[in-house]
Amino acid sequence: MKPLKKLPSLVLLFSLFLISRVEWMGAAEKNPQSVQVTIRTILASNKNDEFDAKLKEMEQQLKTLKYRSYRFLKEDSKEIAWRGTQSFEIPGGRSLSVVPQEFQNNRIALKIRLTERDKPLLDTTVTVPNKGNYLYLGGPPHEGGNLVLSISAATQ
Amino acid sequence: MKDCETIRESIDSWLDGELNPAESELVRAHVSSCSDCSEVRRQLEKLQLALKDELLVEASQIESLLFWREFERRINEKRSWPMELAARCRAFFATPQIAWAVPAVIVLLLAALSLDAVLPWWRFGGGRNNFASVESIDAYGRSVALLRQDETRTTVIWLYEDQEGENEAAEEATKSGPAF
Repeated sequence: MKPLKKLPSLVLLFSLFLISRVEWMGAAEKNPQSVQVTIRTILASNKNDEFDAKLKEMEQQLKTLKYRSYRFLKEDSKEIAWRGTQSFEIPGGRSLSVVPQEFQNNRIALKIRLTERDKPLLDTTVTVPNKGNYLYLGGPPHEGGNLVLSISAATQ
Repeated sequence: MKDCETIRESIDSWLDGELNPAESELVRAHVSSCSDCSEVRRQLEKLQLALKDELLVEASQIESLLFWREFERRINEKRSWPMELAARCRAFFATPQIAWAVPAVIVLLLAALSLDAVLPWWRFGGGRNNFASVESIDAYGRSVALLRQDETRTTVIWLYEDQEGENEAAEEATKSGPAF
């Protein structure tokens, strides 16, 4: 019977340990050092029925765009400090600048600007799930098709 | 005779089962072969039986009397609702299972939170939080479309560029645009 008498205090200690662990996890989520932003550039066109094997993981999502062909052009990944800016070179003399703004509820807010030869084409603020789904930004014409940029972010 | 005296001192303990197996066997063997000691054993057993019956009757009377008094007191007792609530809470938290429920709930909560790290696509509410979402768009006067498809969890911003300055094929592609 002696171990049973100690049970409530053991349970209490264990609960306190678990609560402190949850708190620690919460604190870790609140203070990520930087964000790893990855931009993939894809050429969507109707020239043929080719689907690049490198894009397999996003096949279902890309096919919502209803193009016949999707070709992987390049991938660029950069670590960006909070409120810092990094530019990604996009084919056709374009550039995409990204500013990580906020991290809340495991989501990352990004301010994105697409420019073409220093002329702004688009300014947008988006939130993407941390280490989760992509945001697609498409439309700029390129080599007889349209560029599609997949944007993803992960805290470091 | 010396044996009989020693054995008789032990008969009472033997009947109560207080002797070790070796002593118990020694006493049993002697009692079965000695008529005097056997008689002592019979008398002791008789006495024990009589005492036991008497004690049991008295004990049951005492127990039931106390029980019925407490029962009556509780029936007649009128408690205010806060006291009633406190009593119910005390009874609930006094159950041993609740001691395990607290850490169990915390463990489940931790597991749910940890799923995010293991399975990035998973989130409370069936993955609703795994959508990219758009807070604001400024396309500097150009046309822009926003697609959000639940089935594939896809969010797309589609920018319709100016028609000038690109080659014919690009213009064609831009004109038609995506058919989402």
